[in-house]
Amino acid sequence: MLMQLTVSGLSQGAIYALIALSLTVVFRATTVVNFGHGDFVLGGAFGVYVLVVMLGLPFLPSAIAAIALMFACGILISRGFIDPIKAGPHIGFAMMSISLGYIFRGTTRSIWGREVLPMPRVFDIPPIFVGDLVITGDAMIISGTVAILLAGFFVVFYKTSIGKVIQAVYQSERGATLIGINVKRFHDMMWGAGLAMGAVAGILIAPISLLHPDLGAGFLIRGFAAMTLGGFGSLGGAVAGGLILGVTEQYAGAYINTALIDITSYLVILVVLVVRPSGLFGKRAVVRV
Amino acid sequence: MNQETPQKKRPLSQNGRIFYLVPLAAALIPFFANDYLQFIVNMIMVYVLVTVGFNLVIGNLGQLAFANTAFFGIGAYMTAILMTYAGFTYELALVGAAISGGLAGLLASVTALRGIRLYYLAIITLAFGELMRWVYIHAEPVTMGTDGLPLPDVTVFGMSMHSETAKFYVFLLITVLVVKGTSNLLKSRVGRAILAIRDNELTTASLGISTANYIILTFVWSGSVVGIAGAMFAASTERVFPESFGLTEVIVHFAMVMVGGAGSLIGSVIGGVVLTALPEYFRQFPGMEELFFGAIIIAVLLFLPKGLVSLLAKVSPLFRERYFRE
Amino acid sequence: MKTTSKWKLPLGVLAAMGIMAGTAVADDTTGLTDTTIKVGVMGPFSGNASSYSKAQIGEMAYYKMINDQGGVHGRKFELIEEDTACQPAKGIAAAKKLVSQDKVFMMHGNSCSGVAMAVKDIVVESGTPWIVAHAVNPNISMPPTPNVFHGVPAGPAYGYTMGKFVMSKPGTKNVVMVEHSNDWAKSYADPTRDYMKTKGVEPTMVLAMERGQTDATAQVLKIRQAKPDFIVASLYEAETVIFLKDLKKYGITDIPVMGAAGTDLENTLARIGDIDTVKNYYVPHAFIDTVDGPGMKKWNDMILKYYPGETITGFSYVSIGSAVAAVQALKNAGPDLTREKFIAELDKIKDFDTGIFATNITWSADDRHGVKESAVAGFVDGKPTVMKSWNQPM
Repeated sequence: MLMQLTVSGLSQGAIYALIALSLTVVFRATTVVNFGHGDFVLGGAFGVYVLVVMLGLPFLPSAIAAIALMFACGILISRGFIDPIKAGPHIGFAMMSISLGYIFRGTTRSIWGREVLPMPRVFDIPPIFVGDLVITGDAMIISGTVAILLAGFFVVFYKTSIGKVIQAVYQSERGATLIGINVKRFHDMMWGAGLAMGAVAGILIAPISLLHPDLGAGFLIRGFAAMTLGGFGSLGGAVAGGLILGVTEQYAGAYINTALIDITSYLVILVVLVVRPSGLFGKRAVVRV
Repeated sequence: MNQETPQKKRPLSQNGRIFYLVPLAAALIPFFANDYLQFIVNMIMVYVLVTVGFNLVIGNLGQLAFANTAFFGIGAYMTAILMTYAGFTYELALVGAAISGGLAGLLASVTALRGIRLYYLAIITLAFGELMRWVYIHAEPVTMGTDGLPLPDVTVFGMSMHSETAKFYVFLLITVLVVKGTSNLLKSRVGRAILAIRDNELTTASLGISTANYIILTFVWSGSVVGIAGAMFAASTERVFPESFGLTEVIVHFAMVMVGGAGSLIGSVIGGVVLTALPEYFRQFPGMEELFFGAIIIAVLLFLPKGLVSLLAKVSPLFRERYFRE
Repeated sequence: MKTTSKWKLPLGVLAAMGIMAGTAVADDTTGLTDTTIKVGVMGPFSGNASSYSKAQIGEMAYYKMINDQGGVHGRKFELIEEDTACQPAKGIAAAKKLVSQDKVFMMHGNSCSGVAMAVKDIVVESGTPWIVAHAVNPNISMPPTPNVFHGVPAGPAYGYTMGKFVMSKPGTKNVVMVEHSNDWAKSYADPTRDYMKTKGVEPTMVLAMERGQTDATAQVLKIRQAKPDFIVASLYEAETVIFLKDLKKYGITDIPVMGAAGTDLENTLARIGDIDTVKNYYVPHAFIDTVDGPGMKKWNDMILKYYPGETITGFSYVSIGSAVAAVQALKNAGPDLTREKFIAELDKIKDFDTGIFATNITWSADDRHGVKESAVAGFVDGKPTVMKSWNQPM
């Protein structure tokens, strides 16, 4: 049972990790925490639904189109909604992102509010049985995709000049501008990247979770819990936090009480922030006020 | 903006007495309104206090705390619990709600003082609010879970408060007292200190002002005010349900503060009134609530960052508050 | 003291207005004209329970059909939709609006039990006839009040059905229950538990699975250890699918699962896409046929005529039966309609075949639970079939 819980927790955790990482990317690059992210994660899945089920397009091009669409949404948000209020207090960013999320949710609800939409399953891989242990096709696809994505991401972040730019802007926007970085366009790109990564998470989970407008809030809070656990703003921490959270939910549900699954992430946030605000891995996170 | 001299402003604040006309005029509403409209007017007062309380933390103190729905729910549940299990009268339960809301505010301020600020504070208070809702649902022996906890007959000093009109006059009195009290607080040195902390906490501390005490005081006051609003909400619905304190409520509270004017007491009142009344007016278009509140916050952030009150201040100096920069 | 005379006039005006306001009381023909009947339809048209509002859609389609057939005694239904968002405070506002502003003749609708409980006193005090068309909390119409009628199987009726079906499988001893922590799930799960208790069976395990959860591994693994004879799953549509899929995933395909009303076999199968996963899934089914069965065709056509594009699920039919009964009572009450006559006629509805409910409706002044039982639907040889009890098709 322990092994099975771990496997299934890691598969769930991979999704949380992706969500947390996409939140962290935007936060690191722009110092804005995107409180509407849960709904944008769903946005990718709804995009795929429209293209595949309603327009009858094949899955892979649809998924790519939906991710590109969310990338464009990210740029639009950065340019049209975050940049104009840059001079205002930081609270404005939080409220702007929440409101954008609500607009997204309200839109999906006014179109599909009374339905629970099934998402097509594209790669139907049969499960693997290792003794008593079952590893489903979904789990393999999710973990595989997330692993590839993460590897690619960290290579870009730590091994290329783009990564250095991200670091530079995070440390000092003015400094970055001085050395010729177009900070505005950089912010646009990072918003785009964040939303696109979130969209991947949504597309991966939707065939399992089905699709309805209320999934977003749960994704957001789990993303936050994973970030908190790994140390707010740490990229590797977000991934580790997501995986740990996924497994913790399963253990808490199976060994203590199934009613705890739903609030594991809230408890994680409360306990970590009160006891050890820097997260499990200790490096003091920097929050600029 | 900041050029006006204090001399210019002092007479204006005395003219502020004109605002007493608002509750006096409001006192006539029961003669015109049917039961439905009266209920909405009562809800407006509930949300005016919700906004007044929330605005203290968000607008005046500048802290990004989401715990307002938690204060609201704690106030409502405390009222129902004290009346049901401890046999409290409504007046006493109201005090209990204010105290428990204040204690919740104290808790939030402790986290803020421990250095959990900005996004940390936002996230931890968000988690706290949702956790409270989980508690309302699962503490079934006390809260009756999702069935909702009914209030015993609500009476004030022996008089029944069952009719909307009776509730109205009690609420009106409470609202006037709380808004006046908050106004006095903000006009005192406390209000100045709070603003100084928002604008620069370190400098304020270096002037020898005990920032911690003021932060605690603001959170406690905010929690109490919202707790009182919760007690009024409980009396209004006569049964308290966990669903009333969910995440949608958060965005409603935010919208009220932003639309009225973050940091302005008059703005809080305006925001509470406008955003309780407008959605009722738009009842014919169900499902638009999320779109409506989302869009209205975005519009205010982009085009009217100081809220409706800043527009009014341009029209009449009456709406200028001494420490609100429109 | 000088001011006294100054205030005399306004105070007098106020007093006069107060008296006027006081006299505007509803009477027995409120909401009626010679050509219209105002009906208030409250439902969760927005918010996270808006899929229940399919029930109001079905009911309104029926009233619109009657309008197209000429109405009742020359009166056509004027439907006033009010959104409750499944939130008590919003529901109270909606009920007060219908009663004191729109002044409807009757109310028909309401999906959320919490909202129904919150507005009950308001409706009872107003004397507006109210047919509860979807919410199943039995206390809405129990103890009976003069003007409240329950037009769906209430919780105990469903619990009786679900419990009876579970116990009708020979040798059922070990039952595990999985449920959401909300009033919807409780209104099915609690009466089921009560019924099973009368047969000497207590659930071995009660597991929570909340809305929005995307995984049921922990629940399913616990079930695998408990090896139950039957599982009672009071879960919403999406979570039912996740739960059934996870049961299959961990190799539990031979334990029957009793669902709650609101899910239906066809849509559950369509969402899962694999008959093997749902072949042991059963749902209470209050209607004469399954969603795709020939008996429901005319109802499906009716809903789609007035609401093209509506996806029809088990929720869509819930309120139609009581609308049929209401129209019958209005016909019986004759052209000189009053609320009193209407209520009297509703109470005369006995063993009434609605053409959609599998069980007939009976109302009386001291028992307002109109529908006492429901059938169960399950797959027999891969085909959705309505059944009386375990292995006993209707």
